[in-house]
Amino acid sequence: MRVQSNLLRTIVLGAAGTVLVGGLSTSALAVDYPSKPIEMIVAFGAGGSTDTMARIFAKYAEKELGERIVVVNRPGAGGEIGWVHLANAEPDGYTLGLINSPVVEVYPFTREETVGYSLDEIRPLANVITDPGVLAVAADSPYQTLDDFVGAVKDDPESVVISHEGLGGDDHLAALNFAEEAGIDLSFVAYNGNAEATASLLGGHITAFEGNMSEAASQIQEGKVRGLAVWSDERVEPIADVPTGKEQGYDVQAAASRGFAVPAGVPQEVYDMLLAVTREVVEDPEFRAEMDQLNMPINAIYGQDYVDFINDSHDRLKSLWEKDPWIEQ
Amino acid sequence: MDVLLPALGNVLAPMALLTLILGTLAGMTIGALPGLSSTMGVALCIPITFNMPPELALILLGAVYVSSVYGGSVTAILLRTPGTDASIATALDGYPLAEAGRGGEALGMATLGSLFGGLFSVIVLIAIAPPLSTVALAFGPQEYTVLAIFGLVTIVGVASDRPLKGVLTAAVGLVLAAVGLDAFTGVQRFTFGQSELFDGVPLLPVLIGLFSVSQAFNLCVPAGGGVLTGNEQKLKGRSLPLWHDVRRSLRTMLRSSVIGSVVGILPGAGTSIASFISYNEARRHSPTPERFGKGELEGVAASESANNAVTGGTLIPTLTLGIPGNAVTAVFVGGLTIHGLIPGPSLFTDHAETTYTLILSLLFANVLFAILGLWVCRYLVVVTKVPGAVLGPMILVFSVIGTYALRNAVFDVWLAIGFGVVGYFMERWRYPAAPLVIALILGPILEVNFRRSMQISHWDLTTFFTRPLSLTLCLLVVLALAYPLWTQWRRRKLQR
Repeated sequence: MRVQSNLLRTIVLGAAGTVLVGGLSTSALAVDYPSKPIEMIVAFGAGGSTDTMARIFAKYAEKELGERIVVVNRPGAGGEIGWVHLANAEPDGYTLGLINSPVVEVYPFTREETVGYSLDEIRPLANVITDPGVLAVAADSPYQTLDDFVGAVKDDPESVVISHEGLGGDDHLAALNFAEEAGIDLSFVAYNGNAEATASLLGGHITAFEGNMSEAASQIQEGKVRGLAVWSDERVEPIADVPTGKEQGYDVQAAASRGFAVPAGVPQEVYDMLLAVTREVVEDPEFRAEMDQLNMPINAIYGQDYVDFINDSHDRLKSLWEKDPWIEQ
Repeated sequence: MDVLLPALGNVLAPMALLTLILGTLAGMTIGALPGLSSTMGVALCIPITFNMPPELALILLGAVYVSSVYGGSVTAILLRTPGTDASIATALDGYPLAEAGRGGEALGMATLGSLFGGLFSVIVLIAIAPPLSTVALAFGPQEYTVLAIFGLVTIVGVASDRPLKGVLTAAVGLVLAAVGLDAFTGVQRFTFGQSELFDGVPLLPVLIGLFSVSQAFNLCVPAGGGVLTGNEQKLKGRSLPLWHDVRRSLRTMLRSSVIGSVVGILPGAGTSIASFISYNEARRHSPTPERFGKGELEGVAASESANNAVTGGTLIPTLTLGIPGNAVTAVFVGGLTIHGLIPGPSLFTDHAETTYTLILSLLFANVLFAILGLWVCRYLVVVTKVPGAVLGPMILVFSVIGTYALRNAVFDVWLAIGFGVVGYFMERWRYPAAPLVIALILGPILEVNFRRSMQISHWDLTTFFTRPLSLTLCLLVVLALAYPLWTQWRRRKLQR
């Protein structure tokens, strides 16, 4: 833990009414925060979907905070490098970052030997996006439902090849979850990202692909790809024709979630203020419209609820991992 | 085609032309600086486009994209510091030309080659994008595997006068390519627990180290030296290539443009494969292959037409299928969707006017960078007269900044400096650096696609020969390998 001496200097209690931000009167404390630009760490490359969301969010949050937000990309090791930077940053409120569930909570046990951060060093702030998993086949595939698909795997496990977009990532975990639920063994082919996997599916080189709704939606809408199932509780809007796994008797819930977090140890006042700002942005209809356009479904989970969300997911996945690790050790 | 006219109107509007010019200049600068890749250039522009109308936004992104690929050739030729892997092959012949005082000619040829390749691929994009996009889908893991082997075969051409040393550095490159998290099992290979190495040895820091940083050392070490060799310190060459040289390179430009466009269509194949294959093909078809690598204008033309033809090629699957052809166009997709344009066939129906505005702006950007390039190349050549003691430190500074900017990691800077030292000694002991970089680029493509092929075919090695497309590529590999041997054998027979 770092000593928070800097903090006392940074956070100067001012007179009430010097709050820079409109609509934040709930903040009991009028603090001289922020007084300089805030760094927002994105653990993935510029131009990717996490980065796009971060930059749009920053545009709205800057207005609320009255300070500049500098988006800094620290990509690498599937997000780990960025999260190490986030965990080690000064907890003064001038560094926040995006975290991607479920990957952020699995590295501490799947990479136990080498991982550079622990979940105790990161305090989740608010979830913004939950992008459900989708299992899809090419439009000319003989499989119409999950039952067809499961039947084919049971008849001849070698005839079905399914892609995931990164080992131990949310797609891989979703497919594993489904395989367990259906009592089948899937043979996986690893791809790096959505583009190559989609090309392989459309070209007929693989049988099925497991990806995220936001990436698959346009291909499904155009009828080139058929969604067999979406792994959410209810059907999702841009692809409302695609039934959920649950409807078809396979109770699988899987998604990639994106939200914000700060280094642990940020003073409660600052945390509350950032939370309030995040809430303002996420509830802003204009922000929601922009997310809609990108097929990114909003799923607002604030404060302690988000902390619990990450912790629950961590515990559930860890017990799965201990039963049957999905990465060779 | 009736949308072409309103689209033309969009491009020629005053604001659009201004955006086009600014985008082209920005792209050329970004391409010329080491480490600032086309991907980063386009990504940096995306926030700027948030508040622009979609037409202007696309004009800006398109102009930055095509001109940044061209911009890399300038420093590759004059200083042997290719900004990205796309222009390594350009440096192979461009730099010897610059050393001989013929930098102006090389730059002119690079400009014309880029223009030819760029225009060719845009015309292909306008004329036959939808049918060609099926090529992207026909390529499965098996085909990518053989394509990667084809790329590795080009090492023979690149290191023709020192084949053994070339193979050796390529082997080192393949070993480096094995570093990182195994994509299929998650096993850490030679990462030493360094999370910066989980994604493998990052390409650009190695590239900047081997070419730019080592060149900076090179220029600093012999006191008073510069790019120009010899005592006369004179720019012997003309400021533009002779028409005769351009004419004999036209066939190469056409062949390279076809190769570049096709490779561009393939998602994940990469610009450098296109330029190396084209370079090797140009050498193979040349009546004087021995001049390649020592300052052959045709080599510059081959590499540059190919890498600029890739730009139009990558947009074909991006626009028609919504599958980005490379990292730059993946960022492009982000830029399109922010403006409500979802890539796919609807771009050519519902949003045809905007889409053709983008395509036409690529056409104009190509012409614009060519005009700017031909105009400034006579002045840029002066850089080769700057003393090494001044030029070296400047290259070093830009290399360090560029490397850090890649992913804001100090680790990468140390890597670049380390490879700079390695590259300096490789140069002195005459070990070619390009094979190492080719192997580092192609190693992961080869490995991943070979393993995918094996998973899909359930370990049936004949899968590479039973698919028509894959078999054709295999034959091309055999041809590329056997042809030089055959010509050698025939020459010997004739001598007897």
